[in-house]
Amino acid sequence: MDGKVSWTMPVLFELQDACFEYDGIPALRGLSLEIAQGERVALLGANGSGKSTLLRILDALHFASKGSVSFDGQRLTPELFQRDDYALAFRRRVALVFQNPDVQLFNPTVFDEVAFGPLQLQWPKETILSKVAEAMELMGVTHLRDRPPYRLSGGEKKRVALASVLVLDPDVLLLDEPTATLDPRSQSQVVDLIQEWKGSSKTVITATHQLEIVEDIADRVFVLEEGRVAATGIPPEILPNYELLLRANLVHAHRHSHGSVIHSHPHLHSHSKHEH
Amino acid sequence: MKRGFLESTFVGFARVVTRAMISEETARRRGLLQALDPRVRVVGLFSLVLAVTLSRKISVVVALLTVAVAIAILSRVSLFVLVKRVWLVVLGFTAVIAVPAIFVTPGDPVATFGFLTITEQGLRTAAMLILRVETAVTFTTLLILCTPWTHVLKALRAFRLPKEAIAMLAMTHRYVFLLVETASQMLESRRSRTVGILKPAAQRRMAARTAGVLLSKSIELSNEVYLAMQSRGFRGDIQILSDFRLDAWDYLGLTAFLLAGGLAVWMGR
Amino acid sequence: MHIPDGYLSPSTCAVLYAAAATGWYSALKRLKRMLLTRVVPLISVFAAFSFVVMMFNLPLPGGTTGHALGVTIATIVLGPSGGILAISIALVIQALFFGDGGISTLGANCFNMAIIGSLVAYGSYRMIAAGSSITSRRRVVSAAIAGYLAVNAAALVAAIEFGIQPMLFHDARGTPLYAPYPLSIAIPAMMIGHLTFAGLAEAVITAGVVAYLQAADPALLLSTSGLAGGESLTLRPASGSLRRLWIAVAALMLLTPLGILAAGTAWGEWSPSQLAKTGVVKVQVSKSANHPSPAAVPAGLQKLATLWTAPFPAYAPSFVRSRAFGYLLSAMFAVGFLLAASLFLHRFLPRRGRTEYSG
Repeated sequence: MDGKVSWTMPVLFELQDACFEYDGIPALRGLSLEIAQGERVALLGANGSGKSTLLRILDALHFASKGSVSFDGQRLTPELFQRDDYALAFRRRVALVFQNPDVQLFNPTVFDEVAFGPLQLQWPKETILSKVAEAMELMGVTHLRDRPPYRLSGGEKKRVALASVLVLDPDVLLLDEPTATLDPRSQSQVVDLIQEWKGSSKTVITATHQLEIVEDIADRVFVLEEGRVAATGIPPEILPNYELLLRANLVHAHRHSHGSVIHSHPHLHSHSKHEH
Repeated sequence: MKRGFLESTFVGFARVVTRAMISEETARRRGLLQALDPRVRVVGLFSLVLAVTLSRKISVVVALLTVAVAIAILSRVSLFVLVKRVWLVVLGFTAVIAVPAIFVTPGDPVATFGFLTITEQGLRTAAMLILRVETAVTFTTLLILCTPWTHVLKALRAFRLPKEAIAMLAMTHRYVFLLVETASQMLESRRSRTVGILKPAAQRRMAARTAGVLLSKSIELSNEVYLAMQSRGFRGDIQILSDFRLDAWDYLGLTAFLLAGGLAVWMGR
Repeated sequence: MHIPDGYLSPSTCAVLYAAAATGWYSALKRLKRMLLTRVVPLISVFAAFSFVVMMFNLPLPGGTTGHALGVTIATIVLGPSGGILAISIALVIQALFFGDGGISTLGANCFNMAIIGSLVAYGSYRMIAAGSSITSRRRVVSAAIAGYLAVNAAALVAAIEFGIQPMLFHDARGTPLYAPYPLSIAIPAMMIGHLTFAGLAEAVITAGVVAYLQAADPALLLSTSGLAGGESLTLRPASGSLRRLWIAVAALMLLTPLGILAAGTAWGEWSPSQLAKTGVVKVQVSKSANHPSPAAVPAGLQKLATLWTAPFPAYAPSFVRSRAFGYLLSAMFAVGFLLAASLFLHRFLPRRGRTEYSG
């Protein structure tokens, strides 16, 4: 239950008793875990369990107020991120897709959106143009190139958001509720994408409360509860553990009066509001 | 009964959306302005607006208005739309201001009605004001109709504005749409919960509350956007890719614009 | 209050562009120092908010409606620098996206509504609300008064810009080339509408939003409260640099006449002979009876005009002594005075929350 890695690959993220507060309100209360390179991990938790905060800590957008957070053996601190060289190298390796695509899509057109990351990394112009074209093609948004974000559907927005981080070819992909507000077809596209990364050395960490996608996107699950890791294990261990899921507020009691098969009641907490 | 707060505010919101639609539609037509690089359009039409304000002769302003109409026809902008949506509206606004000038401007009397005296100078200044405003607004409208906002933005990069300014204009415009949508939804849900016509005081409270909620949301949104920017490597310096190339037509167009503008200024001295 | 193209002469526009640019430059510089790298998203989203609020059509007492400018609430939440930039950007988008407000007059519109509006809103709000707690009733009243004053100050400056046009820019026969009304008409005509409707709309929305924030999100009111601990937006006023912004704008106003001269000559609009004629026209003007004579210009302003032209030595070019030039100078002086007064107020405001930005 302590989230240690039983994996042959080197440890990528290591958190020890990490704490974090928003304006004095605790979001993480001494969270410890290890995630190895190449792992596909699901962070399961209800709203307010701290999974979005954890993703932001992993992306070094917030820094632990107590405890430690390390990436690739390097402890992540605000001071470290004052250095352009380290910060840019980290941003290139680790990418976060926000839950709300309107937050992520802040550029005037799809092309500008996808080109934003490469421009910050100051790649040469030709490289930028070819990589952007590649990423748009990969996510099937090439035809939307000159569209402004307000003329995209929900699924299109999500795909553009993914293209805008995949263009950097990151080693680690952090996804915050990637399928939450999508229609079934777009959902399965996103799930397919995460599956396609299987076998490569890419690490995918997905925060979600949608139990039905967990088996498809994760080899290992962390259940979060009130800013701590409540349980960890492989999906077949965690998903049938009804008591655990109930305690973590991931299922409703009344839905379970008949049987205990998780897949029979999709979409348990369908409304995912942002956590803070 | 006048339209209430909700209705008239919705009309304003709808205008934002239609404006974007119209320009995207007009910009796709094959016409004179559409064939030119956005930078040429922006520089060219701005210089004609400048020429309008610089020339001191009515005849020259009329000539510029003719040029504006010609550009409109060549760019396949409907004259009907121009007359109805632009000229009549502007005439309404400007005439209110210009007409009294006919009587109060000192100068050579032309006719007297009781205590009111029309002066030649008054007539001329009123005509000048109306023509100037109409002509300048026509040029601006042509730019707006034939150029989607993203192209205007790209063109502004060529003006050597600070990169922050370009980035802020782009981002503001982008989030105007989101916030218009958010505000519409908030007002819409309030409307559905309201029976009958609200008293003005209640409408004011509703407006202030909506604005307050929107403000809180905006600050939160900006914090989130900032994180999203940082996550993708933003370090505080705006980086901009510009991939414009001017061809021979663009240079020709630019020369024509600047010549027309220069000529008007010289003729209208 | 959006001045369209054609109402102001190119040289006036150029001067006001320069004035606005100075304001933008110092505001941006100051914000970057306070907010480090988060200026762009914060100001952009806030500008979008202001843009949307400007579309609210408020019912006013007496059965009319009016649009707020949004500059006061922007200034209360973001501080004057943030208010200046957010409102300017909203105005630029209105001009370039909707065609509301001219292109040549964009500098003037930003100067009047964003810069003057923001500074007056800030000065009056800080002064009237000084020392009151975040949730006090006095803050709501201060917000209303600040909004009312800000819009009216902006309108007054616009009226002065209109009013100096016929004196300075007319053809050989006295036909005004731009806005046709002298100060004696332009000021009352502009002010009646703003003292009633537009000022009220701004007062209503600002007070309403401040009251809402007091209950729902009081942290957003901290940054300009003058109280300790204003850290919600990390927008704590770093006082010294604000004063520099104001001094810059005030100094610019005092230098404006030079700018007008330079710009005027550059545009080929003024020549000494034309300016010499100004006097002739004015004489003619005072003789005809069917219009307000220059005597109708507020006496104080006229005094200022003489005050300003007096110090010029006798060997100065004749146009410097012309009455029109005097009016221009006094108009600019009036604005400069406004700023200097705000500056003075600012100096003596309680500055307990004076902590520098950190983190």
